[in-house]
Amino acid sequence: MKEVPIKIELEGRWVPTTMGIAEDRIRIAAPVNREIPYRAVVDLEQKKNQVLVTVGGDQETTYRIASVEKVLYVLKKLILTSCSAYRLNAFFMSPAIRGGVLVQNAKWEKGMIAVLKTGIWFVSQENQVCIPLEDVASIDLTSREIQDKNLDVVKIDHLIDNEVVTSFILCPLTTLQVLYNFLNEATQDLEMSEEMDPLTTQVATLVYSGMDSHAIENMLQISHKDLDDIYDALIAAGIAEVLYIRKEIQLTAKGVRYISSVLKSSTN
Amino acid sequence: MGRILIVDDTMFMRTLLKNILFSGGHDIVGEAGDGDEAIAKYQELRPDLVTMDVIMPKVNGIEALKAIKSADPSAKVIMCTAVGQEQMVKLAIKSGARGYIVKPFQAPKVLEEVKNVLSSA
Repeated sequence: MKEVPIKIELEGRWVPTTMGIAEDRIRIAAPVNREIPYRAVVDLEQKKNQVLVTVGGDQETTYRIASVEKVLYVLKKLILTSCSAYRLNAFFMSPAIRGGVLVQNAKWEKGMIAVLKTGIWFVSQENQVCIPLEDVASIDLTSREIQDKNLDVVKIDHLIDNEVVTSFILCPLTTLQVLYNFLNEATQDLEMSEEMDPLTTQVATLVYSGMDSHAIENMLQISHKDLDDIYDALIAAGIAEVLYIRKEIQLTAKGVRYISSVLKSSTN
Repeated sequence: MGRILIVDDTMFMRTLLKNILFSGGHDIVGEAGDGDEAIAKYQELRPDLVTMDVIMPKVNGIEALKAIKSADPSAKVIMCTAVGQEQMVKLAIKSGARGYIVKPFQAPKVLEEVKNVLSSA
């Protein structure tokens, strides 16, 4: 078992310790003192230079571990290969489209897909890509031309740092159908129960494209109040959230007096 | 910064693209609502770049792209189509498109693609 230095979060504090990594388990030294077989892991999440390892059992426990990239890479690979998850061999392309623009040098990678409780992982020799289920915008079973053949693929639109990214998964059709159904079920909360009216849809499209309130009002020729009402409808439907609230102000008598005096002195 | 012709059959998408491109410092020299109009406007305005919708009434975007490229082989055209029609990419690239954007799109990425195509030889 190879020992590596890590930091682990305990009661809100980062505690330095060591972790032994073996082919089938890890052992976290004091003060945790716990051996974790990879097959007992039910979830794995990635947050910058940390991973969150959730161990199943009567009571699930999540360990937040920080370490150097190389250690986390090996740890993730070992866990994803053996943990409790829906796993399949597949080809994937991620990202294939970024913000609506095709990624010119995107290529298919051969590897493994692992679907865990909170995310989908693509693992190849070179890459480890995690798509948290909460960041999945849509899942489609579609076809794509690959080497002059139209093949069925699963297409996933997801958010990375507020940018919409499209990834593709390619595997035999029967497996693809199972994967599609599985992902669809896992992300069912994202479905809209009813369709929005055309104006609200246009506003949502403009927000998606990065337009601010002022630009949207100008483009659609609608009032501030009408736009606010549409925003409220989008928020109530759970498809948008408040980024910030901008104030509209008017000057008090003191303010008017100050501005008048400033302008007076500058024009004298 | 470039002089750009926007081709799309919906005014909403034209207005959106116009706003995005204008915010990136580009000049919008014209707009067209179908492929026929696009070919005529290209001849008249000779823009640095065209954003071309694929699915349009009358002459579609691919046919308009071919006509523009046969009249001016150096024409720079970025194709623009709805999600799910990515299979058109190969045909468009084969027909001479320099880039491809998929609706819905995000402003920074569109500006990046436009910049790349404008600066390409």
